[in-house]
Amino acid sequence: MNKNNEPPAIEFIDVSYRYPRSSRWVVTHLDLKIHKGEFVAIMGENGASKSTICQMMNGIIPNSIGGRLVGQVLTHGLDTKESGIAVLATKVGIVLEDPETQLFTTTVRSEVAFGPENLNLEPDEIEERIRWALDIVRLSGFEERMPSSLSGGQKQRLAIAANIAMRPDILVLDEATSQLDPVGVEEVLSVVRELNQKYGMTIIMATDASEMIAKLMDRVIVLNQGQLEADGTPHQIFSNKTLFQKLMIRSPQVSQLASQMETANHPFASFPITVDEAKKGISELLGTTNGSSNDEESINRPKRDHKQVAIQVENLDYIYQPLNVHAVKGISFNIYQGEFVAVIGQNGSGKTTVLKNLLGLLRPTSGTVMVCGQDTKTTAVAEMARHVGFVLQNPDQQLFADTVSEEVAFGPKNLGLEKSAIAERVATALELVGLEDKGEEFPPALAKGDRAKVVIASALALDPEVVILDEPTTGQDYRGCHQIMQIAQSLHDQGRTVVFVTHHMALVAEYAQRVIVLSGGKVLLDDVTEAVFSKPEVVRQAHIIPPQITELGQSLPIDYNLPRTPLTVDAMYQAIMNRFPDKAGAVSG
Amino acid sequence: MSSLIAYYPGNSLIHRLDPRVKIIFMVIISTALFMVNDISVALVVMLIMLAVWFIARLPFSVLGGFIKVLVPIIGFLFIVQAIFYPGETALIKPLIPIGKGIGQVTLEGILFAVLLSLRLIAMIIMFPMVSFTTPVQNFALGMVKIGLPYTLAYTLTTALNLVPILQTETSVIVDAQRLRAMQSFEKGKMIDKLKSYPALVTPLVIGSMRRAQLMAVAMDSRAFGATKSRTYLEDISMRTVDWIILIGTFVFAIAIVVVSSVL
Repeated sequence: MNKNNEPPAIEFIDVSYRYPRSSRWVVTHLDLKIHKGEFVAIMGENGASKSTICQMMNGIIPNSIGGRLVGQVLTHGLDTKESGIAVLATKVGIVLEDPETQLFTTTVRSEVAFGPENLNLEPDEIEERIRWALDIVRLSGFEERMPSSLSGGQKQRLAIAANIAMRPDILVLDEATSQLDPVGVEEVLSVVRELNQKYGMTIIMATDASEMIAKLMDRVIVLNQGQLEADGTPHQIFSNKTLFQKLMIRSPQVSQLASQMETANHPFASFPITVDEAKKGISELLGTTNGSSNDEESINRPKRDHKQVAIQVENLDYIYQPLNVHAVKGISFNIYQGEFVAVIGQNGSGKTTVLKNLLGLLRPTSGTVMVCGQDTKTTAVAEMARHVGFVLQNPDQQLFADTVSEEVAFGPKNLGLEKSAIAERVATALELVGLEDKGEEFPPALAKGDRAKVVIASALALDPEVVILDEPTTGQDYRGCHQIMQIAQSLHDQGRTVVFVTHHMALVAEYAQRVIVLSGGKVLLDDVTEAVFSKPEVVRQAHIIPPQITELGQSLPIDYNLPRTPLTVDAMYQAIMNRFPDKAGAVSG
Repeated sequence: MSSLIAYYPGNSLIHRLDPRVKIIFMVIISTALFMVNDISVALVVMLIMLAVWFIARLPFSVLGGFIKVLVPIIGFLFIVQAIFYPGETALIKPLIPIGKGIGQVTLEGILFAVLLSLRLIAMIIMFPMVSFTTPVQNFALGMVKIGLPYTLAYTLTTALNLVPILQTETSVIVDAQRLRAMQSFEKGKMIDKLKSYPALVTPLVIGSMRRAQLMAVAMDSRAFGATKSRTYLEDISMRTVDWIILIGTFVFAIAIVVVSSVL
């Protein structure tokens, strides 16, 4: 598709790089070409240097950050090392993960104007660009709004507008959708897709959202520790089983299903990466219909009569003062001892407010919250900590000690336990999260997944009956996500009550027994996981999109007699395998 | 408590004033306030600030929050002044006479404490009033027009902008540590509070550094500081009302200083 004599949009020629004051080369001998108009995903585990490579594309590395860059990075044939930031800003835009670090002004309009103003453009030209950019990101009419009042998806669209107003023809998005709820992700993607298709912009996205990659992108680049591991179309990459065995990155769920079918000697005719392809594959595999259909699916709901209530929320109302924001509107639910519950809903649905009420950090405006028999209205937070362990989204907001053991010992020390009891608590907690060998390490120097585990261990050292995790997997790669959820699972297996909040629907489907969907400060749905995901049109009101494998189940004709609401790839796989006379593969799992 | 630095959108007279006028107003009036040593004048200044707050249509509940924070400080002022101000008119005799005036609660001491409190309250109304009614980029623009280089002006205002973010961050960190059974910030001895500082300060410092670095990346990516001169889309200009208020500010400042020295 590229013309022969035009230089590539981005070209890395034998690039190696190390950060200032560091002796480790985080990128080594990277060669890479990205052509004009391509829509490229960059995948890799945390530590693969995806962000570093993104920041090289617009010259921020090394021009602003410093460090030692060997080799050449060219954008449109220009050496980034020799070009000024004004020139590079008009060639390559970059959108970062956290909206708050990239929006600096107080109106949408001035935010978009910021770049063009720095380029010293004429006011008329700037006005024209603001109109154009806001129109593309569908924020026309928001000119006078404060960026801080926008939703996550709107903020990221604003960040895109602020970049494209400098008229770059390359846009780099570094994990720009990973903090958004599923609908926010869709909003951003539809804008990015339009930029690619209608304006011919080259788009490079560092992301691990493989279902979206499968749907939209031309090419996937897989990095492994600063080196190129694989490069190809989404079909080539996602059907490469050895790649996924080697690296912990996530392929679309339908591809995972196809890989399993392949191993069991019942491969799909052509390897699917999207729901539609998988649908076609299944109909080829199973023939058209088999007549018997059970359209009424029976969902098992556990009996809870004899179980004790761990968390009791009654008519909880919460209004933030002084601005009088009514965040939670009279909600009630019980969570029983030993349950594994996910609380989901879009940003602003009241999740965080409910959570803070459970922890005693906020006191109900009206209504009552009882946790482990304690009325949060009258119990001190530090006292609540004996009963409820809390795992914060961002581990860096609480790590402070010099060693992992000291960090974990902080809670038990605060409880005033004996030295030997503290040591015992620390040892048990570290073992639970699998960090028993890392007790003497310096927490900030650990990998992100391990830092999250330290935070979990710190909560567990208080031996709480209830563990609450607030978006524990945000910013974690596939490996990190699963390790964290496995720990949560083991806590549940021990009989503790586990409540987690997340945007990550595949994890909800796989781990939660029960889901509470919040929307607009009210409970929209509260049921067993399968029942919740069996109503995609209802959960969509809460900006939730069920996982891909569930979508596949729901899109298949009823008379296929496969599960309507499969929650995991494995459930679907087992069901399909049961249709074959030889059930050789079905046992393995 | 609400942040001292935030923007409350509005279209009041105060919102529409040229930021330069507001910056100068703030500097001149705070200087004048320190030269005011008469209670009635300080009271008038404070009431005028309240009136301006009203004109700006800013929420009084937020102001109430600031005053609430001031209460212990004011209480402390009263105690210190009552004990140490060398006054003549003794109201309460000291139990143990320490020296002339010291240790006895005097009328002069009380009055001085009242004066200090009034100054303090006037200031605590004025600063947020200016910051609440001025978008950050206009602040920067005001400074540029007064003569600061724009990179410096923007760096200053960006730092101001970080204050509310850091406040939020701090409360998240405090909450996280309280949930690890840290009690000392609710109750506890001073020594315990000092001991628990690293648990708050370390994550805050590391987090701020990380954030500042990312902000620099985002700003550089948008050509910040690329050229010496820069376009300003929202140009500010002094209108008649701005000149009137600017001149009024100077007249007012001189008047309160003169009047208070005469009284």
